[in-house]
Amino acid sequence: MLPRAVVIAWVVAAGGCAPRSQAEPGVLLVEEKEQTASFIRNFNPLLEVGDVRWPATHAMYEPLFIYNALSGDYVPWLATGSAWSDDHRRLRVDLRPGVRWSDGARFTARDVVFTFELLSRFDALDLRGVWAFVSGVTAVDDHTVEIAFSRVFLPGYYYLAQQPIVPEHVWKDVADPVTWANPHPVATGPFTEITAFETQAYQVDRNPYYWQLPERPQVRAIRFLAFPSNDQAAFALVSGEVDWAGSFVPAIDRIFAARDREHHHYWFPPVDGGVLLYANTTRAPYDDVRVRKALSMAIDRALVVKVGMYDYTRPADATGLNDAHARFRDDAAVAAGDWVQHDVTRANALLDEAGLLRGPGGVRRLRDGSRWQVAINVPTGFSDWVRATQVIARGLREVGIDARMKAHDFNAWYEQVQEGEFALALGWAEPYPTPYGYYRAMMSTATVKPVGVAAPENWHRFGLARADELLGALEQTADPATEHRLTAELQRLFVASAPAIPLFPGPLWGAYNSTRFTGFPDADDPYAPLSPNLSPQALLVLTRLVPREPPP
Amino acid sequence: MRYLIRRLAFYLVAAWASVTLAFVIPRLMPGDPEATMFARFHGKLDPEAMAALRRTFGFSDAPLAQQYVCYLGHVVRGDLGVSVSYFPARVGDVIATGMVWTLFLAGLAVALSYALGTLLGIAAAWRRGGWLDAVGPPLFVLLGAFPFFWLAMLLLFLFGFTLGWSPVRHAYDSGVTPALSAQFLWSVATHAVLPAATIVVATVGGWMLDMRNTMMTVLGEDYVTLAHAKGLSPRRVMFRYAARNALLPSITSFGMALGFVLSGSLLTEIVFSYPGQGYLLIQAVRSLDYPLIQGLFLTITLAVLGANFLVDILYVWLDPRARTRSAS
Repeated sequence: MLPRAVVIAWVVAAGGCAPRSQAEPGVLLVEEKEQTASFIRNFNPLLEVGDVRWPATHAMYEPLFIYNALSGDYVPWLATGSAWSDDHRRLRVDLRPGVRWSDGARFTARDVVFTFELLSRFDALDLRGVWAFVSGVTAVDDHTVEIAFSRVFLPGYYYLAQQPIVPEHVWKDVADPVTWANPHPVATGPFTEITAFETQAYQVDRNPYYWQLPERPQVRAIRFLAFPSNDQAAFALVSGEVDWAGSFVPAIDRIFAARDREHHHYWFPPVDGGVLLYANTTRAPYDDVRVRKALSMAIDRALVVKVGMYDYTRPADATGLNDAHARFRDDAAVAAGDWVQHDVTRANALLDEAGLLRGPGGVRRLRDGSRWQVAINVPTGFSDWVRATQVIARGLREVGIDARMKAHDFNAWYEQVQEGEFALALGWAEPYPTPYGYYRAMMSTATVKPVGVAAPENWHRFGLARADELLGALEQTADPATEHRLTAELQRLFVASAPAIPLFPGPLWGAYNSTRFTGFPDADDPYAPLSPNLSPQALLVLTRLVPREPPP
Repeated sequence: MRYLIRRLAFYLVAAWASVTLAFVIPRLMPGDPEATMFARFHGKLDPEAMAALRRTFGFSDAPLAQQYVCYLGHVVRGDLGVSVSYFPARVGDVIATGMVWTLFLAGLAVALSYALGTLLGIAAAWRRGGWLDAVGPPLFVLLGAFPFFWLAMLLLFLFGFTLGWSPVRHAYDSGVTPALSAQFLWSVATHAVLPAATIVVATVGGWMLDMRNTMMTVLGEDYVTLAHAKGLSPRRVMFRYAARNALLPSITSFGMALGFVLSGSLLTEIVFSYPGQGYLLIQAVRSLDYPLIQGLFLTITLAVLGANFLVDILYVWLDPRARTRSAS
């Protein structure tokens, strides 16, 4: 894309002649990650897969509970509470009384039942596979729902809790909810009334029947402008046009925060999925745990984070857990994971011990006698990853591996990692509510696919029977102490076998300009992540913001 | 008339060829559109939901020949399918959001650039060795050597950000509603100035050189000397005798240039956040959105073919020989 350095130079040079916000008082301008030159009117909250406008899942339709990634708590939203049966096969959910849809109709248990039945009838809408562990959803009375499980699966709570609920009286007449664009949404959320919709801008006003009124929301409307590139979005943020933004901004402290220390703020907590160096464990020599640990020791993570990520995050520890899971982190596992420390001497020693000795020219030989040459695959355009990979490749060359970065088109890269047609590759790890999902992706045999078959995760193709046992036990555990013990054991297993090589936890991008609105979360008041790109957590922020009086 | 019918037949064949190319080219690209599509979910998607979606999208493993026949049928009916990256919107609707703006911008810019370049070329050739002839061609050729997007960024920075004279994005102010009002038209005009100027500046040099060179040759013809000798006014000789004949070769390249400008304006659009086809095309290619790629290729090639056909009609009007040939 466009040379970013040039753009930054402009922004800095542009000085005070930049445009200010054009929005009316009380109208919040949001910049979310969806980059587009023109908006298509689609507000279908059930199909995030499609090109759905941001408010549908972040401001219009609401879930039963909102999972707060920072605290690990479930915030009661359309529900007020829930209770498991003793055998964890039934979940009773109490719904909030007095909630109305934006057309004035009452929200009842029927709507919840209808929504889940919709997912059952249309496979394509059951994005999280809820019906793989749910056997039925019934309305006990107007304000109580009971969900029956076909097997004990406690991690499933997350998906049930966060499902956006749609109104039965509107959606029952929709012939095909999978392709329906829902142009005139009826929802329970704080912002539902589309007052303007054009290809380059649209605005959604307050829901007159919102259940938190009159206290919340204080924001009168939310407004969106089309930004086709990160750079255009960064311009808008820096020049004060946008109030709340969630795109990556390079050197944000210098180009954004330093311009107005009082109002310009950003907060990038490292709570998103991590970035890892994946080694294909179906190929020699990467099937050898000593080799994987040696590769890890050859990497200077502090430099990777500095060069690749502008120091926006921290180097990973050997558990690979992000800061949202800090409460699970096991000190013994972290201490045992010394293989994330940059240590060229020990890396060399481990590789020598594995029988991969240096040949002429200082390059190591593989066991078949050939030079150890390896490509590290990255997608082009992920400029942060590309820079990080250059640092990694240099580190590997220092220990006698002829490593080169190989940048592929995103599609080609994605196909390679999914099908296991790579030796080394940079890749992401999914953010999950608990470490269960992360370790399942890293080392359960259930997620291992043969080479050539696309695997959505576990690209490195590594599985351990012991991990399966621990994960199976976690699925059935509601007791926090047991959950902690099992998770700690998983961490030690991960640290001992190094299935993949964690580099750094991903930061969640979020920035705001408090000239026109206050009440954004930050490190001092971390009531929710700042990033607007998280559904449904954005609801927590949208309902807390307050316009400044009088408007500037 | 026969000439035009012959041209029309040629365009039909060209249209078929472009329809076929639009089908073949995306399928030669590396990667799997489905995998890319689901990449956005980072593997969070349940396999059964994925299978169901696959059916909705109409991803097909049918033999290519069968896909091709099916595709031709749909194209004839004007059904371009469902866009993958803008799911569930139809390709026609997605393209409609930007086509008008792209045609407006590219058409305006090409017409302006052509008119300006031709006039400059005529003037330069008329006063051969004059200051315009000395400064114009090298300057514009130098400017034309810069890539469109680079010029676009330069102009955006200079006039949009530093001086604040011009809007920095979009086709009209976000506060203005589209209507046939003075306010809206003014907004559109001010937003089009910089993007159009980018294209004009980058392309005007070529037209000027072309026109200047043919004009030089024509000015050496006997009939021009005769016109002078008859005592016709210099202006009449310049435009009616010399320029009209010199125009013929450059008219033909005008039609072809439209295609180049369309592809170049894509980058300009992205720099100015102009809601045209530019971003759509890049987005479509990135996400291997076959239906959208095909749709965009089709509309762009058809637009270019249409423009060329208009040029042919214009040619008949300008050059009596084309008319005589078809009459005989």
